[in-house]
Amino acid sequence: MPRNPRPTRRSLLAAGSAAASAAALSACSGFSTGSDDPSSGTESDTLTMITWAGDAEAQAFQALADGFAAQGGPTVELQVVPYSEVLTAVDTGLRTDTPPDLFRVSYTDVAAYRAQGVLANLADPSSLEPSFLPAFWSAVSDDDGTFGIPHHTDTSMVLVNTAAVASAGLGALPTALDAAWTWEQFLDAAGRVQPSRADAYAFAVNWQNAGAYRWLNFVDQAGGRLLTDDLSGVAADDPGMLKALTFTREFFRQGLVPQSSSARGQPASDLFVNQSVAMVFAGDFLLSEIDAAGFEYQATFLPRDVNASADLGGNALVAVEASPNKAAALDFLEYCAQAQQMGDFCAAATVLPTRTDVDPASLDYTVRPDLMPLFVEQATTIREQLVEQVVVPDFSAINQQLADRLDEAFLSSDSDQDALAKLVAGIESVISS
Amino acid sequence: MRIARDLRRWSVSYAMLAPALVLFGVFMLFPLVQAVRISLTDSTGIGTADFIGLDNYSRMLGDPTFWRAAGNTGLLAVVSVPTSIAAGFGIALLLRDRLPARGLFRALFLAPYVISGVVVAMAGRWIFDENVGIVARTLAGWGLASPDWQSGGTAAAVSVFVMLFWARTGLVVVLYLSALQGIDSDLLEAAELDGTSRWQRVRYVSWPLLRPTTFFVTVLMVIEVFQVFDVIRVMTGGGPAGSTEILVTYAYSQGFQARREGYGSAIGVVVFLVILVATLFWWRLQRRAEEDA
Repeated sequence: MPRNPRPTRRSLLAAGSAAASAAALSACSGFSTGSDDPSSGTESDTLTMITWAGDAEAQAFQALADGFAAQGGPTVELQVVPYSEVLTAVDTGLRTDTPPDLFRVSYTDVAAYRAQGVLANLADPSSLEPSFLPAFWSAVSDDDGTFGIPHHTDTSMVLVNTAAVASAGLGALPTALDAAWTWEQFLDAAGRVQPSRADAYAFAVNWQNAGAYRWLNFVDQAGGRLLTDDLSGVAADDPGMLKALTFTREFFRQGLVPQSSSARGQPASDLFVNQSVAMVFAGDFLLSEIDAAGFEYQATFLPRDVNASADLGGNALVAVEASPNKAAALDFLEYCAQAQQMGDFCAAATVLPTRTDVDPASLDYTVRPDLMPLFVEQATTIREQLVEQVVVPDFSAINQQLADRLDEAFLSSDSDQDALAKLVAGIESVISS
Repeated sequence: MRIARDLRRWSVSYAMLAPALVLFGVFMLFPLVQAVRISLTDSTGIGTADFIGLDNYSRMLGDPTFWRAAGNTGLLAVVSVPTSIAAGFGIALLLRDRLPARGLFRALFLAPYVISGVVVAMAGRWIFDENVGIVARTLAGWGLASPDWQSGGTAAAVSVFVMLFWARTGLVVVLYLSALQGIDSDLLEAAELDGTSRWQRVRYVSWPLLRPTTFFVTVLMVIEVFQVFDVIRVMTGGGPAGSTEILVTYAYSQGFQARREGYGSAIGVVVFLVILVATLFWWRLQRRAEEDA
C-alpha cells in the first residue's frame, strides 16, 4: 500500500463523474408545465408576451400594448423572437417555471398546449363567441372551454404575374367565388402558360416550410378527409384523398411546377418573387414581401372541385394558466379581441379579422388593399370540417409526416395507390403513438 | 497528520480540476443523462411525459425514415472521411514546400472551416440552385441542362457533399501540415540520400510517422459527419424525398417540428452510441497497429 495515496486520474474522474451524475439525476424529477398554482409566483405589474413578428406586426403589437396600458392595464413587454424559435422559447419558459404570461401561437399548435393544461381558460367566452366566425372560434375551443382568442386569419389564393401570363389567353381572372376555376380549368390554364425562360414554370404551391397541411385544401375540395370523423385515425379508404393526391402529383408529372417546389423544397413565394413561376399559391401575409419585388400581379381564388376550400391560416393569442398574472393576461386577450383593436392590427399587418363585425373593406390596408376583399371572400371557404382535422393535439407530428410523405409522393414514380398507401402508413404511425 | 496532508493534496487536485469537471458535467454529462432520460418517455416538449421504457427504440426498428437516415449518414461518412483525409494530406504536402504565398494558401484553405456553417450552406444554395444558381446559369449559357440539385436525390447529395468537403478539408490540411512540420528533417534527408523517390519518402517515412495524426483526424471527421446539421438543414432540409436526411437532421425534425421529443432524443442517443463504438473500434485498431510496429 503506498504511504501517501495520491489521487489517480481514474479516481478523480470517477469522483467527478459521480458528482456530475448526482447533480444530473437530481434534476430528473419529471417535466413541469410551470407551477400549477398561479399564486406561487410573484404577481408583477408587467406582462411578458412571446411572439414572432415582422416589423409591421411588431409595431401593431406594440400599439396594442400601449393601448392596454393607456386604459390602466399593466405594461405588456413584447419578446419578439424568430418564428422558428417561438415554441422553443415558450417551452423553455414552461419547463423552467418562468413561463411568459402570454404568447402567440398558430391554430394548429393550440391543441398541443391545450392537451397539456398549459393554457388559461377565458373567464367569460360567451360574451365574445357570437362576434367571431365559428371556424376560428372552434380552433381555440373544446368541450372544456375556450383557451385563447382567434386573433386574425390569413389564407391562400392564387397570385398571378400579369406579364408572365399575358400570352396565355387566360382572359379575365375569376373575381367571384362562384366563378372560381374548377380543377380542370385550373390545369388547363396552367398548361397554357408559356414560361418565358427554360428554367421557369407555370406555378408553385405553398406546401413547403411546415405548410404541408395546405395540401389538405385539395383533399377537402375533393370532398375527402385525412382523418376519420371521430379524428382518431386516418381515413385510409377515402376516395377524396386519392383524388387529391392524383391531381397534385399531376402538377409534377406535367412539368407545371418546378420539381424543386415539392413539400420539402424551395418556398413557393421565393420562386414567384424571382419569377421562376408565373403563378403561386400564397397567403395574404406575404403580400408586402411580394409587392416589394416590383412586378404587377393579380389574385384569383383557389381552384375548386366538389367544394371550395381554403387553409386555416393565422394565429391565436393565449394566456398561460401557470402565470401569476393570469387575470391581467386574460384581460389583455379580451382587449385585443375587441373590434377596434383587431381591425387596427389587421390593417397594419395585412391579415384578416376573425370577427364578423370587423368589415375588412373598412380597414386601411397599406399593401394591395384592392386584393384584400378577395382574400376575405376566400376565407369564407375555410370549412369547419377541415379545421377540426388540423387542430388535433397530434397535428405537429401529422404535418411533419405529411411533408415527408408528400415530398416522396411528388418526386417518386410510384403508382398513386402506392404513394397514398405510404402516406397513410406514415400518418398512422404518428397517430397510433 | 497524514490524513490532513492527504486531504490537502486531494483538495488542491480537485480545486485544479473543478472548473473542467463543472463544465464537463453541466454541458456534456448533464445533457447526455437528460437525453437518455427523455428518450425513455413520450415527451412532446410540453407538459408532463410518461415513462414508456424502450418503446422509442423499438419504434426506430420499424421506421423506414430512420433507416434511410442511418444509411445516408453511413454513406456520407464512408465517402467524405477518406476523401477529406486524402485531399487534406495531399494539400498539406504541397503547402509544406516553400511555395510562393504559402501563408495565403493556408489561410484560404482554412477559411471555410472557420466561417459559419449557415454561411457555407447559403453559398451552397446560391451555387447549386437548380433554377437560378450559378452552376445552372453557367450550364445554361453553354446550352447544357442543370442537374436537378434540389429535386434529384443523387444531385442533391452531391451538392451537400461538395459543400461539406469544401468546409471541412481546411482543418485536415492544417492538422496534417503541423504534423508534417514536426517530422525530423534528418529522417527525410537520410531517406533522400539513400536514393528514395519523393513518393517513397511520403509512403514509407512520412505517412507511417503521421499515424497518430491520421487516427485523430479520422475520429474527428467521423464525429463531424455525425454532427453535420446546419449545411444540410439550410441547403436541402433533408430532401428531396429524404435523400439527404441524416440522423441528426431527422432527430431535429422529430424533436422540434413533429413535437416527438422522446423519439428525437432516442435518435440522438443512438447517434452518440454509434460515435462511441466507432471511436473505440478505431482506437483499438490504432493501438494494435502501434503494438505490431
